Amino acid sequence: MPKQHSSAIDPTDVTFLRVSPKLTTVRLISGAIGALIFLAITSAPLILKLTGVWAGYPAWLAWAAPAFVVLVAAWSMILIPRQVRAIGYAERNEDLLIRGGIMFHRVMVVPYGRMQYVDVTMGPLERAFGLSTIHLHTASPGTNAELNGLPAAEAARLREQLSARGEAKLAGL
Amino acid sequence: MSTPAFEHEPAFTTDDADTWHRVHPVSPLVRGWVAVAAIIFIFGRNSLESVFSQGWDGGKSLTGGPPALFIAAVVGAAVVIFGVAFFLSWRFTRYQVTDEHVHINSGIVFRQQRRARIDRVQAIDVVQPLVARAFGLAELKFEVADGGKSALKLSFLKIGEAKRLRAAILARAAGVVVNPEAPGEVQEAPETQVLALSPGRIIGAVFLGSTTIVALCVIVAAAVAVLWSGKPGILVGAVPLFIGIVAGYWKNITGDFNFRVAMSPDGVRLHYGLLETRSQTIPPGRVQAVGITQGPLWRIFGWYRVHVNVAGYGADASEHGSRTVLLPVGTLDEVMAVLGLVFPDPGVENPFEVFGAGLRGPADAHGFVHSPRSARWIDPLAWRRNAFRATETALLCRHGVIFRSLQVVPHERTQSLGLRQGPLMAALGLVDFELHSTAGPIRPLVHHMSLANGLQLFDEQAARAATARRIHRSEHWLAATATDLRIEEHERGN
Repeated sequence: MPKQHSSAIDPTDVTFLRVSPKLTTVRLISGAIGALIFLAITSAPLILKLTGVWAGYPAWLAWAAPAFVVLVAAWSMILIPRQVRAIGYAERNEDLLIRGGIMFHRVMVVPYGRMQYVDVTMGPLERAFGLSTIHLHTASPGTNAELNGLPAAEAARLREQLSARGEAKLAGL
Repeated sequence: MSTPAFEHEPAFTTDDADTWHRVHPVSPLVRGWVAVAAIIFIFGRNSLESVFSQGWDGGKSLTGGPPALFIAAVVGAAVVIFGVAFFLSWRFTRYQVTDEHVHINSGIVFRQQRRARIDRVQAIDVVQPLVARAFGLAELKFEVADGGKSALKLSFLKIGEAKRLRAAILARAAGVVVNPEAPGEVQEAPETQVLALSPGRIIGAVFLGSTTIVALCVIVAAAVAVLWSGKPGILVGAVPLFIGIVAGYWKNITGDFNFRVAMSPDGVRLHYGLLETRSQTIPPGRVQAVGITQGPLWRIFGWYRVHVNVAGYGADASEHGSRTVLLPVGTLDEVMAVLGLVFPDPGVENPFEVFGAGLRGPADAHGFVHSPRSARWIDPLAWRRNAFRATETALLCRHGVIFRSLQVVPHERTQSLGLRQGPLMAALGLVDFELHSTAGPIRPLVHHMSLANGLQLFDEQAARAATARRIHRSEHWLAATATDLRIEEHERGN
């Protein structure tokens, strides 16, 4: 298992748990689907030009648009494995720590007592790989605490754990 | 504990499960008066015109206008339709205030039954639009913590009734022990005025405010456009902008006119408005964050504006943000007085100096920690202004050079925390610290701290918030003694 990506802003004395490496596959597939759709749209003028329907369309633009899409897609695909490795979470006594990002690092701490509710969702692609997403909500819209790619059993355990701890430490608003 | 104004009123009693009340019968008219006025205006003018034209023509063109019978029929039909609609909407709106809940049932075709827990009340407003004032009516707005999406409204009640209902709801929310002799009976909490703003101050503040800065920009842009093109006709294009600016002035002046801040055991009371008057009550402990701001022109007089985040108000875009204003304009002394109402314990021994440094000074006086030198590549002007200071009870975040601001978040109101770092900041060894508060105008943030300071703040703030949550008072602010006693014992034990 490759080493977890670490950043300068991580709290020092915390060991982060990692999400399932299958998330890489899920993200690669969904990224590929998105890229293919974009590629189909942007290469429409090229096809029209090659078939002679729209011969007047500038050749460089016809080639540049799909090429750009391919480049961007390839770049983001290369980043996905590292991005997935960067996602981590740690349950502490009072709060849940969530980290993420390789270029734009982010660490967030969500106190159990502040959680209003916990969402567990599972998309079709995630379901195929047995993964789910857990989303913590506080009274603040700024709390964007989402954890993708948890194995379904771990997500269920975390949800129960979070709810139990939230109840024990509930602190109103 | 009775106020002179309500001595003659019977005390309010909460309802049992079967007692329902209706709002005042005139209410639908007060709400729908614009439509009624429009109908009367259109048909009234038509019929008057036809009467006049017939008069002038000496009765020669009787067939010219619509016959009087037709007009009467249309007006009559409108009256009947409106009347029936108004009657039904009144008839189907019922409310009930029990010891624990407020129930409101409304709607004719789509019925709605709403129930709100009284102990979750975040704020209560009594609003009197101009027309309602003429009838002596008021609207009661009851906010629960859902980011301002769905306030419970009772429109309209007699003003005395609205005030008694407010007192009753606040007394229940406060957890006042019910008198066993007369259960359900409450008295309105007395209020003492803390400060009132003079009309001169309001007008001065509005004319030196952001609208004026916009106006100056528009004038400069218009002048440049005229000089550059040589055609004064271009000025016509700026007319709508100027109308907007004048309307903005008018709205701000009438909105904040006669602003008074008062304190009562039920919380902070704000009264304001020239045409539409409003009185807001924010119970103790409901303020999630405070923001103090100062524009460049206000610095001449040393004026500040104070905003609050209250869970029930939300971002409050619908009413141009006036409800989140705790003080539209005030000197440092007045700001401190108002801050003292919402945060009785500043957590430092010299609050004037500390908050003064937070509002005025750059650099690191009075315990403020500002951005390191490397931040000047990103913030050439503000790097010594961007700073934070943690007191025992709250975190202070200072920002801005031209538009200065200070954000204050009590530790026990911290929702969650975050650290962020982009590639540029990583290269300079900087980090952004953000503190999540409920929806509102204040989004607390500490810009571009050094890595060491940022990490330390992140760890310490998480610990401070956890401690503050443990000793946090109960939601029932007057019944807080049980928790307080436990804390005192706990502290003695240590």
